[in-house]
Amino acid sequence: MGVRTYTFLAFSFSVLLSLPAIAEEISFTDMIGRPVTLDKPAERIASIPIPLASTIIAIDGSTKKLVGMNPLAKSAIEEGILGQIFPEAKDISSAIAGTDFIPNVEELASVNPDLVIQWGDIGDGAMAPLLNAGLKAMFVTYGTEEQGRQFMRITAKAMNKEERINPLIDWREKVQSDIQEKTDKIANDQKPRTLYLQRALTGLIAVGPGQSYMDFWIRLGGGVNAAKDITGAKPVSPEQVAQWDPEVIFLNSFEGNLTTDFIYNDPVLSMTKAAKEKRVYKMPLGGYRWDPPNQESPLTWMWVANLLQPGVFKFDLRAEMQKAYKSLYGYDLTASDIDEVLWVKMQGSSKNYAIFKAD
Amino acid sequence: MLTSRAENIRLPTSLKTGEMENRRLAKQAVAFLILSVVLLGSIFFGLCAGRFSITPARALEIVFNWLFTPGLLINQIDERIILLVRIPRIILAGFAGAGLAVAGAALQAVFRNPLVSPQILGISPGAAFGGVLAIVLGWWGLALLGLSFASGLIALVFVGLLARINGRSEIITVILAGIVISALFGALVSLSQFLADPNGSLPAIVYWLMGSMASATWQKLTLAAPGLIMGTLLIMAMRFRLNILSLDDAEARSLGANPDIERWIIFLAVTIIVGSQVSVSGVIGWIGLVIPHTVRMIMGQDNRVVIPASAILGAAFLIFADTLARTMTAAEIPLGALTALVGAPVFAVLLRSHYRERMQ
Repeated sequence: MGVRTYTFLAFSFSVLLSLPAIAEEISFTDMIGRPVTLDKPAERIASIPIPLASTIIAIDGSTKKLVGMNPLAKSAIEEGILGQIFPEAKDISSAIAGTDFIPNVEELASVNPDLVIQWGDIGDGAMAPLLNAGLKAMFVTYGTEEQGRQFMRITAKAMNKEERINPLIDWREKVQSDIQEKTDKIANDQKPRTLYLQRALTGLIAVGPGQSYMDFWIRLGGGVNAAKDITGAKPVSPEQVAQWDPEVIFLNSFEGNLTTDFIYNDPVLSMTKAAKEKRVYKMPLGGYRWDPPNQESPLTWMWVANLLQPGVFKFDLRAEMQKAYKSLYGYDLTASDIDEVLWVKMQGSSKNYAIFKAD
Repeated sequence: MLTSRAENIRLPTSLKTGEMENRRLAKQAVAFLILSVVLLGSIFFGLCAGRFSITPARALEIVFNWLFTPGLLINQIDERIILLVRIPRIILAGFAGAGLAVAGAALQAVFRNPLVSPQILGISPGAAFGGVLAIVLGWWGLALLGLSFASGLIALVFVGLLARINGRSEIITVILAGIVISALFGALVSLSQFLADPNGSLPAIVYWLMGSMASATWQKLTLAAPGLIMGTLLIMAMRFRLNILSLDDAEARSLGANPDIERWIIFLAVTIIVGSQVSVSGVIGWIGLVIPHTVRMIMGQDNRVVIPASAILGAAFLIFADTLARTMTAAEIPLGALTALVGAPVFAVLLRSHYRERMQ
């Protein structure tokens, strides 16, 4: 389906829905099992979880329905390409919650939301204030790809935009199963030991298997997690990284000042196989940071797969990105936009990165 | 808890017979010998143990080559791990452990109170706030050290001003002022954490506050070592005066001391040590309590002995604890948590046995 079809569908749906003055109510169950009922599709949404802010923009194709977001969602938008596509996003309130997800109920009330989205798995302190204040709330949980899909799905449901989310979910399913099918055929000894560093500049934090989205896409893309001895995100010493001797290192996109030189200039980390073979890559920052689950995740998987199994995967990521950004945000990515998102200037000379460069 | 310890302190006295003095000296010499062996053992353990497998023979070979072949290129990964990761860490842990133990011992002598530590005086929370502020501002290295030290010093000056009434500072008011200032700086640390960017500085702060030597390098060592060594040597040089300072003020004055000024020199030395240590490895507690107490149990109360012995044992203990922190699991165990885990129970046992003895 082309973008035009989506736009047409979205348009005709909204016309259909606005005709009867009283739209039908929407009810669904959120991710902690609470029933949620809305009198009409949510028009003023405040999202306390970070990735969902850009998801809401993607589902609506505009910033109009987003009235509040996490300060970190805003900084990701401002640092990344979304701020360029939707400059008006900078006027949306980011005072509705702290970066620790604790809501500021009065700020929330002042933006007059008809739906507040909040994490449902970080304790009562984050949830109770919303319910006490009588705000209409929907709780989501974090971790796996399945959970990621589910929070996108119910957000779209609340906005009565299921026709927007279904193609996105289909896209995720298709890309995932395409990659998985090929990865399944790769022998285990052909899968590079891959390390994801969630923090680096002020002390290394590695991410092991379990409760980790990064472990999911490392395995999906045809790698094995080098940090197999730890669970979740844990601080590690350079000596431990040397002992794992990763063949590929992914650096997070959260630390703005972190570049691949951090690894190449470190006396110990530069001795790893990944550094010697120039297979160190920083995660891209697109509509959102590519490390955690978000609306652009299939692009993450393609990028990762091309890098981990260059002999197997040859995704034309530049074309895929242009297609995706058109349908997600209605935006035509330029060649220099893509270079910026993929950090071509910094890591263009890394091994296997030529496939991401413009012809 | 403010018991006067003056009666426990043996002043150098000519009343003792020569034979008793000799026997005491011999006992001390043996104790120092044992402590030195413990320190060497701890260093050797630190050198050979690690996540990256290097045999002890190879580890020693690397160290000998490095020591006796000047201009050697460090090209092999095992050489880099020994010489660029483990050795700076061992030396840093050693200096920090010695400094913290000596700082604790000196404060306990000055306050005549076995429970005093840099934490209680507000120095550690002050230095911690300075460090956190530096991280929030994106300052590292010398700037972090400077801010950490300055903030520790400010905390100390506040305590001094608060405690000074009619030109004199009573010990009890100093401790109470310390508690007030600690609470204040603790609150400032929480506030900075609240304001920090969770993508950048916040994880760094949390990690740093837990106390860790994981990012020790030669560069960090050259940053912290001067302060640690200077502060430790200053207290070492004052160890003769500490016996006098631990008398009550009137007695000390009658022996020709100026307890107020000398006390503040000690505080300054402690601040230099704590500021330097905190700036490179975060808050590491308990060393200043557990080590001097252990030493006093073995070697008596004389500060001329307690101070150097605490330095050796403190170094050995922190090197050992840090080696455990980096080898027990693939993930780094926070060193501050580890020292507290070992320190708190040991301290509790010491305290009980100490008071049981006194009550008998």
